[in-house]
Amino acid sequence: MQDDLIIKTTNLTKSYGPHVALNKLNLSVPKGATGLLGPNGAGKSTFLKTILGLIQTTEGEGTVLGLDIRTQGDAIRSRIGYMPEYDCLNPDMEAIHQVRYSGELLGMNPTVALARAHETLQYVGLGEQRYRNIGSYSTGMKQATKLACALVHDPELIIADEPSNGLDIAARNYMIETLTNAVKTGNRSVLMASHLMDDVERVCDNFILLHKGKLAAQGRIEDLKGFDREIEIHVWGGASRLEELMISRGMNVRREGRVMRILHEQEDTTSLILRCAADVGAQIRRMHEYEASLEDLFLSIMENLGYEVKSSEDLLASPSLARKVDAPEHMGGGSA
Amino acid sequence: MNLPENTPPAVPFTSQPITPQSTPPIEHLPDGYDSAAPVTGKVRLEAAWGSTEGDEDLTVSDTPAPISDGQIFKQQYKQWNGELNPRWMRNWAILRHHLLGVFKKGHRPWGMPIRLYLLVVFIASLSDVGMTLLSGLIGDSGLHSIWGVSRDNLYGHVLGFFPRNMLYYPVVAALLVGGVISEDRQHGTSALYFSRPITRFDYVGMKFLSVAIIQALIILVTLALYYFAEIATMGRGWAWIIDTFPMFLATVLSALLLIFTYTSIGLSLSSVSKGKFFPGIALLSIVLGTKVLAFIVSNLFDREILYLISPYDCLAHVGQAIIGTQPTYDQYSWTWSLASIVAMNAIALYVLSTRVSSMEVTRE
Repeated sequence: MQDDLIIKTTNLTKSYGPHVALNKLNLSVPKGATGLLGPNGAGKSTFLKTILGLIQTTEGEGTVLGLDIRTQGDAIRSRIGYMPEYDCLNPDMEAIHQVRYSGELLGMNPTVALARAHETLQYVGLGEQRYRNIGSYSTGMKQATKLACALVHDPELIIADEPSNGLDIAARNYMIETLTNAVKTGNRSVLMASHLMDDVERVCDNFILLHKGKLAAQGRIEDLKGFDREIEIHVWGGASRLEELMISRGMNVRREGRVMRILHEQEDTTSLILRCAADVGAQIRRMHEYEASLEDLFLSIMENLGYEVKSSEDLLASPSLARKVDAPEHMGGGSA
Repeated sequence: MNLPENTPPAVPFTSQPITPQSTPPIEHLPDGYDSAAPVTGKVRLEAAWGSTEGDEDLTVSDTPAPISDGQIFKQQYKQWNGELNPRWMRNWAILRHHLLGVFKKGHRPWGMPIRLYLLVVFIASLSDVGMTLLSGLIGDSGLHSIWGVSRDNLYGHVLGFFPRNMLYYPVVAALLVGGVISEDRQHGTSALYFSRPITRFDYVGMKFLSVAIIQALIILVTLALYYFAEIATMGRGWAWIIDTFPMFLATVLSALLLIFTYTSIGLSLSSVSKGKFFPGIALLSIVLGTKVLAFIVSNLFDREILYLISPYDCLAHVGQAIIGTQPTYDQYSWTWSLASIVAMNAIALYVLSTRVSSMEVTRE
């Protein structure tokens, strides 16, 4: 199990004077794709710099690909492909030479780096555009070039910081597919920091949620979404009566007009709902299992942590009824 | 009973507007709607689905299946099992990137005006070489006495103010240092360096070296050509070489001091900026501005001490001392100038190291 971990930290702490950017972070990131989530100021950038071995930790320890982040920063960076969030390309250079130079900076022979630059640009979909100046590229093409720079030496771990930033839908889909492909067919690991939950959900199996430098939750996305399923019903007639009855019978109900979501706690929850509806004479026009998106869960967790987030997607945003979706203790949450 | 998320609605879609006659009779009206309320299909649909969006214009949705054009590009991740070379190869890559950019495409893109100016200065710096060759070819001793190798001419090749230290070398340094570090801040390319196993020392060291080498190609290579042109055209023997070689080495040392000083001041200015213009102009202002200021004060008040703040004058003073030409700064010792050069370089390198240390990987 220990061999399957690409990142492991123990009590990792980083302080800038009185400001604690990372506070006793205990993380275990397995191979595969992992999403790094958190609001602005959560400590994501500091965490990335720490695992790249670029800054000294104040306290605690950690390993990346089995290498010590405190003493083996150079070796770590040789085996990692980092795709920064912001522009990191020379607009006056052709993409092929920019990617080649990225490889040379890792110690690749110039001839080998050039051959590999052709391959990676082909992989990210810029094969036909590789001799164009980067300054003439669209945002999507620049993002793809950044990814090619990160992939040029076939790293074991790809750190992608907001890879779909500023992309349109088509380019975004392509970027997500490319990253997914690197994980699935290339057998590489990805640590993806993103504010776009949908992207994280599509690429990643696992997630880490940071909040104010602390670990808020971590685990498998499927587990997080699975442990708190709900049944959504659309009621016609007697919605208030149905809600009251279901609550009186111990069910956990949230309601917005004629749409209700009932916590799926028992196997016979659907039967109980139908029985309640029959008792009050309400018609259930639609009933289905509701699977919260990662964004819903993120917003709920943030609300529980005291972070005020507003989203049009948050259908049932009533604070008094907002459900608790703290990660369970076995997933690293619970105490935040 | 777990219904799938996309369960079809109870009322079938129709291309016709839904009228009250088409809706099924109901026994209980939903909450909030009394029997006196006008019964319309729209209201009932709203009541049933709890939404006012998209219910009014229900039409049959017929989405054609996408036409398959065949797959031309198949995305396939290719692994690489090569070995990464050690530190010296990474440093060589930085050096090579900057140096080769002057001569060919695919490396650091130096602008065409910069490349042209470097060529012009290189050719202009060969003027004494040309005149030495000419005097040797035509056998004119008068011409040779003016242009041939001597203490004053060696000094003049490196440290002469006009035109070399007014129009050539400081301008070359200004053009070279302009974007070398500042562009990494501007374009965020510092992330490319520091997310790889490149240390700050290697980064700044190789940039320093590359700028210095380009200047050396102009100053030192032309100086060497000048010296060897004298040997070749005038048929100088070992005695002459032994006699003049220390003088030549002293000139080389002066040139190295000049290159180091201009580069360190220039790069420190480049490291505090995000553009190309400021570092270049600021370097020229420091080199030429202090010179002019010291010259004015010297002429008005007969006080030369202000030359100590002028990098060029300090270099010239030290150069005169080690090459052995007639000193033009009489009021203080050349060691003061040397101390001033050391102080200037120390300050410049401190600024440079501090600024490069603060360059970010995650954002700039």
